[in-house]
Amino acid sequence: MDFIVKESLLFWKIIKFLLPAVPSTIYITLLSFIFALILGLIVALMKLSHVKILQIIARVYVDVLRGVPLLVQIFFIYFGLGKILKLSQFPAGIIAISICYSAYMSEIFRAGILAIPKGQNDASSSLGMTSWQTKWHVILPQSFRIVVPPIFNDFIACLKDSSLVSIIGLRELTRAGREFYSSYFVDFETWFIVGLIYLIMTLVLSKLSRYMEKRLKLP
Amino acid sequence: MIKVLNVFKCHDKIPVLADVSFQIDKGEVVVVMGPSGSGKTTLLRCINGLDTYDKGEIFIEGVLVTKQNINEVRKNIGIVFQEFNLFLHLTVLENIMLSQRIVLKRSFDTARAKSMDLLNKVGLLNKVSSYPSQLSGGQKQRVAIARALAMDPKIMLFDEPTSALDPEMTGEVLEVMKTLAKEGMTMLVASHEMSFVKEVSTKIIFLDHGEIVESDTTEKMFNLPSHERTRKFLNNFITKQVCYTKEYPVEKQK
Repeated sequence: MDFIVKESLLFWKIIKFLLPAVPSTIYITLLSFIFALILGLIVALMKLSHVKILQIIARVYVDVLRGVPLLVQIFFIYFGLGKILKLSQFPAGIIAISICYSAYMSEIFRAGILAIPKGQNDASSSLGMTSWQTKWHVILPQSFRIVVPPIFNDFIACLKDSSLVSIIGLRELTRAGREFYSSYFVDFETWFIVGLIYLIMTLVLSKLSRYMEKRLKLP
Repeated sequence: MIKVLNVFKCHDKIPVLADVSFQIDKGEVVVVMGPSGSGKTTLLRCINGLDTYDKGEIFIEGVLVTKQNINEVRKNIGIVFQEFNLFLHLTVLENIMLSQRIVLKRSFDTARAKSMDLLNKVGLLNKVSSYPSQLSGGQKQRVAIARALAMDPKIMLFDEPTSALDPEMTGEVLEVMKTLAKEGMTMLVASHEMSFVKEVSTKIIFLDHGEIVESDTTEKMFNLPSHERTRKFLNNFITKQVCYTKEYPVEKQK
């Protein structure tokens, strides 16, 4: 009985310590992911454009950023570029996650755009729409529905990978967990709770993904 | 008015269109016939710039079609595809309104009124808020026709509009096309529907291997086609098609 009470109190203490760090994790994830979405869409459109040079830039961008570990990218941007550009931890972390994930996003968007039958393009061009109007009003709204599940998949991955920025000292959930651990030396309980909080957040995202899919489904 | 002058197109060194020239005047209803692979679709797609051609010139309403003015030219030409190509994420009404709003910059109310008019014309007022996936093939094709008409085109191109339909549904689409022809629309139709060809077409172009084998008024083509190839093709089709050229009236509105 004594043990249970002691453990519960410890858990409560950990949770109280960690919860203030949760908004920071959410903030980092959301901000990075929104940038990644915008960048990813731009890169996807570049890759699908008819301008050779844009295609090449996009291809190199994706290959490089997808081929280097995120952790290495974070180190490179914070310690490497950061020194030159005087980046603090927060922008460095956000930039690293954004560009890394934009590479994945661009491939998702590209697949989503290519999945739309050519006839849709024919129809809208034949009605006098320019290729941008076609993309914006006809192709993208349809691709969007296709890419929702894979995008949420990466959103969840992005949330988990946001823990990597703790390494450059950005204070978020994982960092807070390390702080707690180094003052109280309770490893099992600390990391159990940190994991649990991540799990709850990702489960909420999965639920949201399913809801969006249902909402966007065409009859 | 469409004027096609010596148009050539090759695909992997195989000629798809070879020296195609013809002219369609205002109010004419011209049918392009020919076996599959004869270049009917390519010809229609070249006319409104969905396909490019290697040599030759195409004039629409007296204007030479180029890459630069293609979007302007397209406002004058409507095309109806074999596969409908309705915008799947939009309702029937939105499908017809979209290009009016974006390309012609019509106000919401004007575009809506125009769309309702056209839906009434093709007999689909009761499907305004349905999605394409909820329609039958014949209904989809009628929406596609309305969508093309919404741009007030001077010329309509039809690329085998009934080939993807069940024989039962071709009637309702042909009925709309016939009405359109009788109203004086200039039409270029790739079709083998004998009921349509006989009733409303003024001229037939017979295409084979990308070449115009023969081209004359409908009457002459049916009575005395001068080429053996045309004769064989027409005979084949007339005998085959008689069995399902029943008439189906367009759905009446409640």
